[in-house]
Formats: sequence, structure tokens, C-alpha cells
Amino acid sequence: MTILKSNYLALLLLVTIGFMSSCSDDDAPEAENEEEVINEVTLTFTPAAGGSPLSFTYNDPDGEGTAAPEQDDIVLPANTIYSMSITFKNTVGTSNEDITEEVEEEGHEHQIFFGWTGALFSSPTGLGNIGAGNQDNPVNYQDTDTEGLPIGLETVWETAEATSGTFRIMLKHQPDIKTATSSSDDGESDIDLLWNIEIQ
Amino acid sequence: MTIRVFTFLIFEVLLFSTCPAFTQGKRDCNTDCSCTISGLVVDASTQEPIPYATVQIKNSEKGVMTNEAGEFQIKELCEKEYDISISHLGYKSFVHHHDIYHPDLIVKLATNDMILESIVIEGSTIETGLESLTESNLSGKELESIKTESLGDVLSNITGVSTLKTGQNVVKPIIHGLHGNRVLIINNGVRHEGQGWGQEHAPEIDAAMADNIALVKGAAAVKYGPDAMGGVIIINPPKMELSTGHLHGTAGVTAASNGRSVNADLLLQQGYRNFAWMGQVSGLYQGDLRTPDYMLTNTGARELSYMFGARFHHKQLDLNLLYSHVQQTLGILRGSVVGNLEDLDIALKADEPYFTRDFSYDINNPRQEVSHDQIRLKGHYNFNDHQLDFQYGFQANTRQEYDVRRGNNNDRPAIDLELFTHTLDLDWKHAPISDWSGTIGVQWLYQDNNNIPGTNTIPFVPNYNNNRFGLYITESRPVGNLEFEVGVRYDYQSNSVAGRDADNNVYRQDLNYQSVTGLVGINTVLGKNTSFRSNFGTAWRPPNIAELYSYGKHEFTIDFGLWRHTTNEFGTPQSISDVLDQDKKPVDNELGFKWVNTFNHTLKGRSLEITAHVNYLKGYLYSKPAGIAATVRGPFPYYVFDQTDAIFFGLDASYILQHSSLWESRVQGTYLQARDISNDDVFVGIPANKIGYKLSFMKPVFGLDQFSAALETNYTFRQYLAPRVITVAEINEANLNGEDLFSEDKSSFDFLPAPNGYLLMNLNLQGTLNQFVFGVQFKNLLNASYRDYTNRLRYFADETGFNMVISARYKF
Repeated sequence: MTILKSNYLALLLLVTIGFMSSCSDDDAPEAENEEEVINEVTLTFTPAAGGSPLSFTYNDPDGEGTAAPEQDDIVLPANTIYSMSITFKNTVGTSNEDITEEVEEEGHEHQIFFGWTGALFSSPTGLGNIGAGNQDNPVNYQDTDTEGLPIGLETVWETAEATSGTFRIMLKHQPDIKTATSSSDDGESDIDLLWNIEIQ
Repeated sequence: MTIRVFTFLIFEVLLFSTCPAFTQGKRDCNTDCSCTISGLVVDASTQEPIPYATVQIKNSEKGVMTNEAGEFQIKELCEKEYDISISHLGYKSFVHHHDIYHPDLIVKLATNDMILESIVIEGSTIETGLESLTESNLSGKELESIKTESLGDVLSNITGVSTLKTGQNVVKPIIHGLHGNRVLIINNGVRHEGQGWGQEHAPEIDAAMADNIALVKGAAAVKYGPDAMGGVIIINPPKMELSTGHLHGTAGVTAASNGRSVNADLLLQQGYRNFAWMGQVSGLYQGDLRTPDYMLTNTGARELSYMFGARFHHKQLDLNLLYSHVQQTLGILRGSVVGNLEDLDIALKADEPYFTRDFSYDINNPRQEVSHDQIRLKGHYNFNDHQLDFQYGFQANTRQEYDVRRGNNNDRPAIDLELFTHTLDLDWKHAPISDWSGTIGVQWLYQDNNNIPGTNTIPFVPNYNNNRFGLYITESRPVGNLEFEVGVRYDYQSNSVAGRDADNNVYRQDLNYQSVTGLVGINTVLGKNTSFRSNFGTAWRPPNIAELYSYGKHEFTIDFGLWRHTTNEFGTPQSISDVLDQDKKPVDNELGFKWVNTFNHTLKGRSLEITAHVNYLKGYLYSKPAGIAATVRGPFPYYVFDQTDAIFFGLDASYILQHSSLWESRVQGTYLQARDISNDDVFVGIPANKIGYKLSFMKPVFGLDQFSAALETNYTFRQYLAPRVITVAEINEANLNGEDLFSEDKSSFDFLPAPNGYLLMNLNLQGTLNQFVFGVQFKNLLNASYRDYTNRLRYFADETGFNMVISARYKF
């Protein structure tokens, strides 16, 4: 009986000492490639007739933090045809991750919707395709996914007479949702930005 | 430094606890045959004493009959343990291995026609060993008919317990308004350690493995250490009885119409003279659930759990080894995924969640894959008049959470964590010293929590190691007709934390926390049928990793932990890219002071129990709205973690009335109020008040050995103490006008008002025939459409509708 007891006490102490020695400072998690956050959106308008492209950027330096973003106002000459391309990036801290390509590769899961106020453009006409039931409203999409449905990374715009208003872009993530009839109300919003726009 | 102190203390306690062993031996009946076994024999179903039952020491001539009051006493024994057999005409006789260290033996004999086995209760039925703490129990038939549900739902059958849900599969218990890290779960005797910091992290425990569950409603920190602010849930596995004579077990299968699920479980156990073993397995296969009006797409679940146990018994030493494994795949409603406020607004206004599809067993993202393994070795060693209990537990907890993400990242978890925990507990029940009896214990816990690389997103929480040491003493003594209890405990915890901030830079911190907690309580019997217990206890918990280090968007909120935000010159909290620490921004422990009083009055066929509780929380950690963050997804309200002083108080009441031997009524209700004292405000998500009535009928009819029916009606009130409502439209409009609705008024808010009250009806039918138990349950009988205030998915969908559950169980 006593032998049994002392054995078990010894074992207990051994176990204890064993665990004590394993207490050390923790290692930091490995650095991860942040592929979830988008904090920089650039709209590049290239005149169809040639000339230097105009770029407008939205940048939120701290990503999901509370610091205010920096956003250019869009200023475009009147009565000009532009092809617009959109790029998405994560540049928080020291990151420099281009997410545009990913969106393009996953084109069948993504669509960019556009909305604007007033007579900013002579083409497309109307006020854009944001909102349920508005998905067929005109937007000059220049790119398609594997199903032949529009994506919106490449579009064409013809500015109207001088005026000003707002321009909204929405990137929707629609895995297994995107169809010929899906609208901007379907799926999750990855981007939803409102720009001030002036046509000079 | 602490390690040295700790080892010294271990030595101290061990020395302290083993020394008296050599000086005892006064009552060694091996020499003078002075040992006695005494006890009480009652009917298992009526609890009435059974006179003239035979109690026999096996393989000997010694035996006695119980007296009129069902009591027996066998004297002049020369050994300390025996197999005793108890029998009476019309009852199932059975053999129990008994020792003299359990003086209060109660034998509950089952009648021949009952499916129940006869059972034995040895010693105190109080789990905590503290008489002044209020406990409620779920066991036997009551537990059996519900144990296929999630643990949280099972527990919500106890008055005072509600649930915090994320859909139907992720369910956390709430005790008196507190949940998560404020509720301690003791599973198979071991503190359950998982990623308890998230609202959507339910305990990885399968209720089907439990033999009985006890709920301690007080702050029981003195015995268990941190986290027991609201109470303690104690989940016990089947007991491994010695000398069972043959293989025992149960096999059950359950099928449910809602979710088209099937659930099966099997338990086998056998006991020999010095050895017993147990094996258990249970599995669940569930598809999409549905509300009265639509499917809940992606709410399937899979669960597999098993448990093996062995018990070795050797004179004064009893060793108990257990291994358990639980793994779950839990689907979360696909329609609850939103990218921004506008998406949330669309979801709030939709008649049914978007992405609603036909029924399927598929589980896609968002989903959780969790597993939990536990190995536990526990034992106790009986000296003549004191006892040493020891327990070592190892737990491995893994959690992977998959979100709806872009491209190949869907196959990668967004959160991938692994947590290893070692616990060591030593409790010494000392011999009574002039009326004082009590326990001295030490506890040690070591944890290592690590992010598994490969998520392609910066870890939501850091890695950390946690080392905790606790020492406690509880003592009790009778004072007149009162039982008086007092206890005190000291805990010391040190953490080393290493994480990455939003810029992927490493931050490291060492944190130390310590606290002293205490309790004082009384338990008194007022006359023959009434008892009153009162307990005042303190509890503490250190802030958890999410409260300190959260940073960024999580589902449809943006959260910043205490050390990830500062306040600007206008008094508005702003996130910072650096990580603060205890020097720059001190964060205190959360302290709880809980007073629980229970009055119980039981008279033939009538039983009334009322529990009044009040809990004052100092430094209560909560998250509050702080402002609007402009993000690439549009404007978002953001929340920051902060500390305040809070008070939670309420009543639990139940009244049981036996109308006749066939009919019984039960009324129960809970009332709870919670207030933020510092800011004179209310909290979001406090469970609403409830009242319920249950009418049961029991009689052997339809040629069955036994038949029971119960109709249950529960009404849940609307939470009338919900915070102000600010709609998404109002937030957006204010944002366009350059106003901030949260910097002006810092009170909490919600996007929707609290849902209306609702009435639920359930009907349970159960019949036994020979060794079979058949059951049919109709849940939500009226197919009511309703939303529950404490379900985090109430913004997106209704609760589940009508469900028919058929079960069959075979006992042998």
C-alpha cells in the first residue's frame, strides 16, 4: 500500500516537472498573405482616340481600421469616349497584393455594377444597373466570364456635356449565384464606393 | 519564479496530505471488526421507503432486513469493502460494490416491470461538495428524451438557462444572462477548454455522451477557478459500476423529420470485482432544416463522438481512465453572409433568406469543422478518515472555420486554431477538525494555442501560452440547524502572447493576472419540508484574447479590441495599427459578486422552488458601438471593447403539482434584468423572460408496460429592455449628411427591434415494452413562425418549424 502510494506520488511529480519545463514563450504565427482585404481601387480612363490615361484612386491606408480613406474626385473632359479599367489591391502596411487578377479568374463568381446620377454620359444611357430589376439596364461591358456573362473590369463610357454628379461602383461576389438574371442585390458586396464626378 | 512557488506548494500539499496517513489507523476495523455499513432503500419511482428488503453481504452469512423506514445497518464487519446484494419481492434485485468511505448510501430499487435499472447513490449528491450552492440536475428519463439535441439546447431545459445561437447548430448556454467565457463547463471532471472567446464558438461536447448534467447557479469560482461568473455546468459520463454481473448497455436510434436527420448511439459497460470498463459511440447525420415557410440552406450537421473508459479498484485506491473524442461539421445558414450594410439591409427586408435552395444534405461554406479530444486520469485514495483526489486531463481542441471567399480560398479555413490544454487537480478532503470539515486543493493549467498557417488571411487572434496556478480551501460546519460554509481561493495566471498586426508585423506581450475569490454560504432546513440555501460568492476572469486583440471585420461588424484602439481628442475611439499593452492601457480583471438564494418547499405531491439571484460585475467586458468606419465596402458601424459595471438580477421559479397518480402539472418561469450601471444603459442580446406549463400523464395503457404523454406550452416574451434601434437607412442617411449617430450618443443599438413574443407547443409520447423504449416527439406543434432574440441569425431567418422526432431505445 505504501509502495503504491509513493510510486504514484513520484509519477505525479515527474509529470509535473515534465510539463513545467515545456512552458516557454510562444512563437508568433507565420506571416500570411492577406487575400481578403481590398483597400485600394483605381479607375483608369483611357481615351479611345489616344492620349494619356486618367487615373482616380480610392485608398484606405489602414484597410479595415477607422482612419479616413483618401479618394480622388473623377474629372473627365466632355464628349469623349473612354475605355475604363478597374484594379483592386491590398496595400495595407507592407502588403502589395493585386487582387484584380483573382477577380478576373473567378469571373463567373463576380460582377461589377455601376450607377450614376443625371446626364453624365451619352453612352450608356440611363442611370446604371444597380438595384433589383435593373440588371438589364445599359452598361457597356467589354469583358465576359466563361459563361459569356459580363464582369465589368473593362467597360466603355462616353461622357456627355459638362455637368457633375456621383458615380458608384459595386463589386459583387456571387458564387453559384451569378446568372443572366442575377442583380446587384444578390451575393455579397466586396466593394461599394461612391465617387464625386465632374464632366468638364 | 512562479514555477518554484508552485512546486513548493505541490510538495507542501502532498506532504501535508500524506503525513496524517501514518498517524491515523484509529478506526482500523481489520483488527477489531468495528466497521458498519448503513443505508436507506427506496422505490426508484415513488421515492417511498421499502420496508423488509433483504440486504446481504455476498458470499457470507451476514444480512439484515430494512426497517419500516427503509433503513438498514450491518454491524461488526471486519473489512472495509463488500459486494452487497439488495432484494425485495417485486423489485429487481441487484449487487453493489460498497465501501465504508461512503456513509450515506441510498439504494433506489426499480420494480420488475420497469425498464430502469436499480441505482445507488453514495454520499453527497451535490456535485460541488458545497451545500449552499443551488444546483439543478438533468438525468435519467428527462435527459434521455432530449440528449440528441445540441448541448446548449439540452441545458435550456433547466430554468435559468437560455441559449445564444448562431443558427441551429452552434448553440452556447447562457446562465442568468452570462455566456461564453463567463460560464464554466466541467466535462468528465475536466474544465472544458476550447476557443470560448467567440460568440459563434459553441462548446465541443456531445450531450449524447452524458449520463447526467448538473447546473450550479452560483459563482463557484472558489472550487473551479476563473470563468465561473455565471455558474458552472457539470457533465458526467456514465458511472462505471463494479460487479455488474453481466454486460449492460443501451442502443438507441432517433430520426427527425426536420433536417431529415438520423442519430444513433450505443453504450456498453461491464464491471468485475476490481475492474470495470465502458465504451460509447454516437453519431448524427443531418441535412438542411426548415422554417414553416422556407428551407434554411446549408444548415446540415455531422457529428461523431466516442468514449472509452476503464476503472481499476484496489482496496483504498480507485483509478478511473477516460478517453473521449468529439468531431463536428456544422453548417451555417448561407443566407447569413453579407458584405456590407446594404447587403444586411436587403437581408433584413427579404421575405426569405437569399440563396434558399431545395433540401440537401450538403454542407458548404460557411461551415465549422471542430474536434475535441480529452484524456483524463482520475483517482482517489481513501485513508481512514480523509481522502485524496487527483486528476490529470489533457485536451486537444481544433477549430477550422470556412467562410465564403474568393476562388481557392474557399478550400482554406479563414480561422484555423489548435489548442492543447493540460490540467492537474489535487483535492484533499481532510478529517474533521472540531466540527469543521473541508477540502484543500491545488489546480494547475497549462495551455498552448496556435494558429495553423495557410489561411491566407492575417490571424484573427494571436498565439499564446497560458500558465495558471490556483490554490483553494473550503470549509463547512454545522451551526445550530444551519450548515455554514466558507471558502477562499487564489489564482495566478501568466500568458505569453505573440501575434501579427494588420501590417503583418509581429507583436509580443507577457501578461500576468491574479485574483483572490471567496464564498460564504448557508444551507438550512426549516421544518420537515422546507429548505433554504443562500450563497454569496465572488468570481473573476481575465480578459480574453478577442476582447484585447480583435481587429477588423468579422461577419457584419467591425470590432476593435481594448488594445487595438485609442480615443481621439473628440472622445471618439479610433483604431490604431500598433498594439497597446498593460502599461499604456491597463485592463482589469472582470470581477463578479453573485448572491443566490433558493427556497424549496416540498410536501406530498407539491413542490415549489424559487431562486433569486443578483450578480454585480465590476469591469464587465462588452462591445459597444463607437462610430462609423468608411471602408472599401462602404460605411460600417464599428464596435470597440470596453469595460463597465453591470448588474444582472432575476428569479427562477418552478412549481410541480401531482393531481393524482396519473396526472402532473409543472409551471416554471424565469425573469431576468441586466443593466449597464456606469452608462445607465441596457445590453444587447439579454435573454427574454419565459413562462411555461407542462401537463404530464403516466399510465400503462395500450398493452404497454408504461406509457407517458406530456404536453408542454412555453411562452417567451418580447425583450422589452432592448436598446435603441437604428436602421441601416438611418445610418446611411446620417453618413451622407456627414453626421455620426454613434459619437453623439454612445448608447448601444440594434439594427432591428427585439422580435415579438412567441408561443411554442411540444408534445412528447413515450412507451416502454419489455426492454424497449419508444418515443414520438412533436416539436413546435403549431408550426409557429418566430424569431429568437438571442439567435444571432435572427436578422436573416425564422427559427425552425414543426419537427417530428421518432426514437427507439433498447436497454440490456
